[in-house]
Amino acid sequence: MIKLKDSFVELKARERAKALLDEGTFRELLGPFERLESPHLEPQGIVPECDDGVVIARGTICGERAVVISIEGSFQGGGIGEVSGAKIAGALEIAVKDNEEGIKTNAVIVHDSGGVRLQEANYGLLSISEIQSAIVALRNYVPVIGVIPGKIGCFGGMSMTAGLFSKIIITREGRMTLNGPEVIEQEAGVAEFDSSDKKMIWNTIGGAQRQAIGLADVLVDDDITTIIDEVRVAVKDGKPSKLRSKQIDLFLSRIKNVDPTKPIGPMDVREMWSKDEDITVVDAAKVEQTDKNELVEKVMSRGRIWFEKLTGITELKVSDVPSVLYADVNLGKEQVRYIAVVPNPNNRFPRARKGEVGLEEGWTVAKYVREVMEEDADKEKKRPIIAVVDVPSQAYGYKEELLGIFQSCAGAVDAYASARYAGHPIISLLVGPSISGAFLTHGYQANRMIALDDPGVLVHAMSKQSAARITKRTIEELDEAAKKVPSMAYDIKSYSTLGTLEDLVSGIDAESPKAEDLETIKEKLIKAIEVTRTSGIRDLSNRLTSEKALTGRAAGIKVRSRLKEEWN
Amino acid sequence: MERLTFEYAATKSVPKRAYVGVVGSGDLEVLLEPLEDKKAYVTVRTRFDGFEQIWKDILDRFFENNDIAAKIEINDFGATPGMVSMRLLQALEVSQDDKTQR
Repeated sequence: MIKLKDSFVELKARERAKALLDEGTFRELLGPFERLESPHLEPQGIVPECDDGVVIARGTICGERAVVISIEGSFQGGGIGEVSGAKIAGALEIAVKDNEEGIKTNAVIVHDSGGVRLQEANYGLLSISEIQSAIVALRNYVPVIGVIPGKIGCFGGMSMTAGLFSKIIITREGRMTLNGPEVIEQEAGVAEFDSSDKKMIWNTIGGAQRQAIGLADVLVDDDITTIIDEVRVAVKDGKPSKLRSKQIDLFLSRIKNVDPTKPIGPMDVREMWSKDEDITVVDAAKVEQTDKNELVEKVMSRGRIWFEKLTGITELKVSDVPSVLYADVNLGKEQVRYIAVVPNPNNRFPRARKGEVGLEEGWTVAKYVREVMEEDADKEKKRPIIAVVDVPSQAYGYKEELLGIFQSCAGAVDAYASARYAGHPIISLLVGPSISGAFLTHGYQANRMIALDDPGVLVHAMSKQSAARITKRTIEELDEAAKKVPSMAYDIKSYSTLGTLEDLVSGIDAESPKAEDLETIKEKLIKAIEVTRTSGIRDLSNRLTSEKALTGRAAGIKVRSRLKEEWN
Repeated sequence: MERLTFEYAATKSVPKRAYVGVVGSGDLEVLLEPLEDKKAYVTVRTRFDGFEQIWKDILDRFFENNDIAAKIEINDFGATPGMVSMRLLQALEVSQDDKTQR
C-alpha cells in the first residue's frame, strides 16, 4: 500500500514547531496572548499579527533539550522586523548562554522568510546581523539545524543566515537565494532574470538544485514524518565536521573556474561542482596567474579614498580579486588590518563592477579576515580589523544567484563574527552607502561602528525602487512612511536613533578628507578599539545598552527580557 | 486600515482561551478569551476600509447562534465573510475542546 503523505509545507509556523518537538513537550514562549506585535506596522496602515510572525517553542527532540524557532511565511512574507527579529536573535542568544554554562540546548530554525521586512527596514537588517552572530556562536556547541520547507523559502539576509547553518534540510518547494527574482529584474533588467519564469527560478534556486550543488545537505519530500526523522538524525549526528561558510578555498577556487563571459546553467554547475574538491583547488592556481596580468583600472571611490588615506598606501599591489583591498599598518601603537571593498571596472563578474559585493568579494573578505585570525592564533593580543564600508549593494545577477552568492556573503559574516569572538576588535567605519546584504557581509558584524555624518552615508535594506516594487507602494508613499518610522529612512541621522553607532562624526569632509579629518577618525578608531577591549564583550550585546538603544530599540529589549523570564 | 469595535450581550461562558488563524492574504487571526461579565467585546483591525456593515452582519449572526461572554480580537488581512465565520467557529471549538490546541 502506498503511504499517503502529510504535507509539512501546508502547516503553519506553530504546527511546524509542534511537529518537530517530541510529542507533548511543545511550550511556546511569547505566545499570541502576550501580544508582542510590531509597533511599526499599524502607523503604516498594515494589520499586525499578535506574535509578529515568529513562534519560539521550547521542548525536547529525541529527549534532548531544544528550542525551535519557526517563521510564519504567510504573515508579511516571513519578513524580519524589530520584534520578530528580536525573538529569533534573543532565543538563539539564550541558547548560546545555556550551552556556555554546560546546559546543552539544541536549536532548529524553520526558515520561511523573504528577508528584511521592508516596512521596518533597518530594524530587520540589524536583527539579522544579530541572528547571524548568535548562530556563529551557537554552532560551536550544537548543530544549528535549518529546515527550509517553502513556500517562501529564504531570501535576502535570511539566505545568508541559512549559509551559516550547520545542516540544511530542504524540500523541492523551498528556495534559497540572496536576491529574489523580482529584485534582480528590477535592478538588472528582465534580460538578466525573468521573474515570471517560474520553472527557471526553481531550477536555479530551488531545493533540488541547491542540494545537488552542495549548498544544502538533505533533500526531503514534503512529508511531516520524513522531515521530523531528518531533524532527529541531525540532532543525533551532532556538529558536522565541515561547515560550508568556512570552506573559503574550495568555494573561491570553484568560482575562479567559472568563465563569467559564457552562459552557465544549473546542470553545468552540478557537473563542475560534483568533481573532487582537490581537483578544483589545483585548477584555480592557473586562473590566478592569468588574472594578475590583467589590467586593473583604478577608480576612486569613497571606500578607496579612505582606505588609501588611512593606510597611507596609494599603490597597493593588485591581488587576484582587485575589488577587495587589505593592508596591515600601524594605528596608534599597534598594527591593524584595514579591509575595503571598492569598484573594479574590470571585474570578471560584470554585475560587481561598481563596488558591489559579489561572489568573489564575499569569500575574499572572508579570506583576509581568517588570515588575521590564523596569524594571531597564538598571540594573546589580537589584531584589530577595521572594515572601511562603502558598499552600494550586493551584486544582482543570474550567475551570482546560481553560484550561491548568499553562501559567499555568509563566508564573510562567519569570518568577521568568528574573529570578533576570538577577541579581534572589529570596527566598522561607514564612509559611504552601507546597504543591505553588502553591509551584512562587510561591516555589520563589528563590535563598534563609527559613521560619518554626511548625506552620502546611508544605511538601508534595499534600494527605493525595489522596495517600492516589493511592498507594492510608490516611492512617495515610502518617503511618507519613513517620516513615521525612522528605521525606514535612508539617512544616517535616522539610522543613528537605533543606538547602534558608537559615534556619528560630523564636520568631516567625506569625499576628500583633510589631514585633521584623518586624525579625528584615527583617534575615534583607536578609542573604539580600546573600549572594545576594555569591555570584554565579544558578542553584539553592547548594541542594546547604549542610551539611544533604550528608546530606539525598546521593543527588541523588551522581547529579550521577556524571553529570559519564560525560558526555563 | 480600519479599527472597529462591537459589543454584544452574552449569557454563556467559554472554558478557555483560543487562538486560530494567521494574518495572511485572505485570512485572519482570532484571539478569544473568556470574560466574567455577561458581555462580548469584539475588536477588529482590518486591512480594508469601508466594510463595517459586513463585519456587523457576520458578528451579529455569530453571536445570535453563540452568545458567549468573551473578549475577541480579530486581525484581518482580507478574509472573505465565509472565512471570517469559519475562523470564529474554529476559535469557539478550540476554546471548548481540551485536546484541540492549534
